[in-house]
Amino acid sequence: MTRPDNDSPRWEESERLAVLRDYGVLDTEREAAFDDLVALAARICEAPIAVVNLIDADRQWFKAETGLGVRETPLATSFCAHALLLEEGMVVADAALDPRFADNPLVTGEPRLRFYAGRLLKTTEGLPLGTLCVLDVRPRPEGLTELQAMALRTLGDQVMSQMELRRALRLREQSEDTARRALEASNYVGAWDWDVAADRVVADERFADLFGVNPVVARNGAPIAAFLPSILEDDLARVQADIETALGGEGEFKSEYRVRNSRGEERWIVARGQVYFDAAGAPTRFPGVVVDLTDRKKTDAALASVATRLSESEAQFRVLADAMPQMVWSTRPDGFHDYYNARWYEFTGVPAGSTDGEGWNDMFHPEDQPRAWARWKRSLETGEPYEIEYRLKHHSGVYRWTLGRAVAVLNDEGEITRWFGTCTDIDELKRLEQGRELISQELSHRIKNIFAVITALIALSARQHPEAKGFSTALRTRIAALARAHEFVRPHTETSKPTVGPTTLHAFLADLFGAYVDGVGASRVEIDGEDAVFDDQAATSVALLFHELATNAAKYGALSNATGRVRLTTRREEDRFILIWTEVDGPPLAGPPEKTGFGSSLALLSVEGQLAGRLTREWRSEGLRVVADLPATALSRRRAAEKAVDGRSS
Amino acid sequence: MSARILIIEDEALVAMELRFVLEDLGHEVMGVAATAKAARDMAREIDVDLALVDIHLSDGPTGIALGRELGQDMGVTVLFMTANPGMVREGVAGTVGVLSKPTDERAVQSAVDYALKRRQGEAVQYAPPGLQLFG
Repeated sequence: MTRPDNDSPRWEESERLAVLRDYGVLDTEREAAFDDLVALAARICEAPIAVVNLIDADRQWFKAETGLGVRETPLATSFCAHALLLEEGMVVADAALDPRFADNPLVTGEPRLRFYAGRLLKTTEGLPLGTLCVLDVRPRPEGLTELQAMALRTLGDQVMSQMELRRALRLREQSEDTARRALEASNYVGAWDWDVAADRVVADERFADLFGVNPVVARNGAPIAAFLPSILEDDLARVQADIETALGGEGEFKSEYRVRNSRGEERWIVARGQVYFDAAGAPTRFPGVVVDLTDRKKTDAALASVATRLSESEAQFRVLADAMPQMVWSTRPDGFHDYYNARWYEFTGVPAGSTDGEGWNDMFHPEDQPRAWARWKRSLETGEPYEIEYRLKHHSGVYRWTLGRAVAVLNDEGEITRWFGTCTDIDELKRLEQGRELISQELSHRIKNIFAVITALIALSARQHPEAKGFSTALRTRIAALARAHEFVRPHTETSKPTVGPTTLHAFLADLFGAYVDGVGASRVEIDGEDAVFDDQAATSVALLFHELATNAAKYGALSNATGRVRLTTRREEDRFILIWTEVDGPPLAGPPEKTGFGSSLALLSVEGQLAGRLTREWRSEGLRVVADLPATALSRRRAAEKAVDGRSS
Repeated sequence: MSARILIIEDEALVAMELRFVLEDLGHEVMGVAATAKAARDMAREIDVDLALVDIHLSDGPTGIALGRELGQDMGVTVLFMTANPGMVREGVAGTVGVLSKPTDERAVQSAVDYALKRRQGEAVQYAPPGLQLFG
């Protein structure tokens, strides 16, 4: 009997506990192998109690026991916990006399243990897990006999061997389980092993399933002929050829083909294997794995078909774009230019790709760049179509006028996916337009000049006949009014348009009445109401009507004294356009004039003859009031006609 | 107020009528030129207060440059008279404004009076009707 040298163990308790758990023996069922060993130990040592005792963190647990009747007891009363601290084992001849156990309830009370002999159960690493021990209720001052001690040592080793066996089995199970789970999880991999000489293919469940073969047959092994019929007929010859090549000396095997599985579904698989040869070069074994590719194939096929369709539509687009007489370009939603057709490169002569991104703007005339950039930015922000005329640098070095247009392509969600744009060379057109503008300007100038020459001629003629001065003045002012009206209605160019502002009725009338101003330069004819536009067909009538009204007012009415004023109100009433000329603060009127002058006839003719309206005159004492009630279309008959045509055609 | 006036106009009839109108108003018409060159020569030879300048002359649309030269370099008050006032929409430095042709005696009279008043530094309340001022 020896005492422990010290209370501190030679191992890390946490490590010992981890290793103990690694054996996977705690809390397992009783096993005959262990039960037999404790029974033998008890018999040989002539002890009523024997146990295989494992020391856990806070308990001792008995893998096997005889004479005790329990499977675990608290650590506090454990004899073995003490034994663990010793190298080989521990013998307590009389516990009642041993200070370590004298107070132990198992000694002082039932079952009144007195004798203990334990043999340490140590792992190969030297960690003590517990003991094989025998106990007696009577003291044994003589201890164990030599034979008994040897038997306990041997049986202890046996226990440890059983433990090691279980640990090894458990580790193998674990790793096999991991591998199997991995295979199952992949769900796509099957394995085979072909004994070529015996023609016996052993295959796992997955392989059997893929080939539609009974898994039991596959596990036990079957000739390769049992598997081949599952391969689709179209692929079979190819697979057999691949097998022959591998067996013929190649060794490595890889083949992709279709099989019909146990549910009759067609699956794409890839098989990889390796042929092993004997010393004579004859194939002996041919193991390998198959992987189910069906889902990947499906994805690949879908991708391929999308790619094909894309490339087809892309090719079509390019052919179309290159065939177009215009330059075609396209940008990403953010405006990054990533495509130009052949025409663009032909026109600009720049290297392909050099105008990608924002490089395009440098191709335009520096004066046009800020404008182009601003418009383009606006379109990008709002999605509005882009349209601009700018000068694009031709490869010859000259700038040519170009019409740029672009529209956004939207997806189902209404988001812009691309911009497609064109540039059309309109340089010729622009030149023609400029030429036409020049001619138009020249013509307009000459027409106005003719009016000037005619009035000069009248004035000069009248100088020879002083009695005709009044007549000539009236005629000249009428012609001047016509000339003004002409200026308002003829087609205008940028340089020829009137300098007075918009070419509306009010603008024209303000100009016509420009001569009638009061002492501070304010017009004596106040114009208000709804404005309108008038065309060349109405111009003569409008000019003559208001010229006559104004000259008449200047001779006899409100404009003939210093205080009088005229208010001219225009308004639209449904399909009528009404002009009301009201004179106030002029000399009081005595009633209608005794005779109608030529001017009045002209006014009447203009309204009722030319404009198809009604002219009413009231000679009120406070001043003349004239109402011209015209069809709304009278002022611009051509426009109205065009609108009517548009309306019908749409 | 009588002034020495130069008429620069290629339409003889218009120029003649204008001359009569100006003379009726008491002014002295110093000459009529149909080209820019003739006008320059005259302006160099004779002392002129006011020039009435058409834009389209016998030698082309040379009136604008001529008007600018007369106004800026030769101290002449310049009024343009043209059938196409859009040509001088942006104004011409050193000149007063533009009268649109055809015009009448009243418009000519008030425009000439206005220009001469400005030339003499007199206060003018408002521009006469028919005359578009530059600047």
